[in-house]
Amino acid sequence: MTTIRIPTPLRPYTGGSKEVDVTGGTVGAALVDLTVRYPDVRRHLFEEAGGLRPYVNVFLNDADIRTLQSEATPLQSADRLMIVPSIAGGTAEAPGVPVDHAALRANQASIILLLVAAFVFNAAWLVAVVALVILAGTALGRPGFLWVYILLRRIGLSKPDVLRDHPQPHRFAQGLGGAFLVAGLGAAWLGLPWLSWGLVWLVIVLAAVNLFAGFCVGCALYYWLHRLGLPGFRVGPPPSTFPGQRPGKAP
Amino acid sequence: MSVSLSFTLLEAIHVHGARAYPEEGAGLLLGAFEGNVRRVTRLLPLGNHFRPESRTRRYLISPRDLLAAEDEAERLGLEVVGVFHSHPDHPARASEFDTQWALPVYSYLITQVQAGVAIESRSWRLAEDRGMMTEEPLRVSDTPDAEEA
Repeated sequence: MTTIRIPTPLRPYTGGSKEVDVTGGTVGAALVDLTVRYPDVRRHLFEEAGGLRPYVNVFLNDADIRTLQSEATPLQSADRLMIVPSIAGGTAEAPGVPVDHAALRANQASIILLLVAAFVFNAAWLVAVVALVILAGTALGRPGFLWVYILLRRIGLSKPDVLRDHPQPHRFAQGLGGAFLVAGLGAAWLGLPWLSWGLVWLVIVLAAVNLFAGFCVGCALYYWLHRLGLPGFRVGPPPSTFPGQRPGKAP
Repeated sequence: MSVSLSFTLLEAIHVHGARAYPEEGAGLLLGAFEGNVRRVTRLLPLGNHFRPESRTRRYLISPRDLLAAEDEAERLGLEVVGVFHSHPDHPARASEFDTQWALPVYSYLITQVQAGVAIESRSWRLAEDRGMMTEEPLRVSDTPDAEEA
């Protein structure tokens, strides 16, 4: 026989009892026995899928069962269990949608590699290809080199890194990179190679800052334009995130 | 179903929410269950134990704090009848996350704190089927009939 202490808000479901005697060889079995004796308490202790609800903490003689063997923790006859809830809540979920930052990074790495190669081999046509791919990606609302990421995923060299974020600023940043490259090609056509390669290197550096430092300058620009109330720049930065900074993991 | 408390206690809840801004502030409501009315006569402001980077949108009262609060309530001849917390820059409406984590029986008093100023408090209770939180009247009396927080 094991005694379970019932927290105040669940006592109406145990006939008002503060403590209930149950049987069972493990913590899990004791909790199931409790729900057999008092079926109404079940939905407040267990999720529909069967696991304990996130706010339910169970202590065995003052030790949190998570530090023992969780629900498989064996019970002795004189043991005392305590159900003590954590109390939590908060505002509505952060605005934004899941954005796979691993796909964004594969895009940035592709842009950097191809543009550096274009500079080394003096291949303006390669700059044109990169510009075309990322502008097409911008038009379609996805990273231009998404297929590189898909390929990397397939051969196991990359895995998803999904964060709650806004896709629009990343799309804007990619479009901005494409626009710089088109301007660079225009400068080359006008016979201004230093300006042309200067713009290409600007794109390389901005992509590298994003890839290695997690800071998206194009996104920051988007958020600042949003703050100024410019039409079309509809979303602000995720909560407690500096404009352009990669957002943190969701709680 | 309703919650009753004095204006002084409601003011103290507002001050706690404003001080915690931009983070969420929380604590427990102590008092008595009188039929369907929760009469709040004392507050127990508590620390927010959620991960620091998420405290602007989340609060957590630890199980140890709750146990200590239940002991304190018993010592005073009272009971924990509910929870109060603030929603910084968000309406005083129970969110989906509030519902997921809500316990039955307790009243959840939520205060909207806008740019550091407490605007409005509303009280909510979990429906029996856990599907949603329904609002309950919040009765604020002018005369402090209660002990101060």
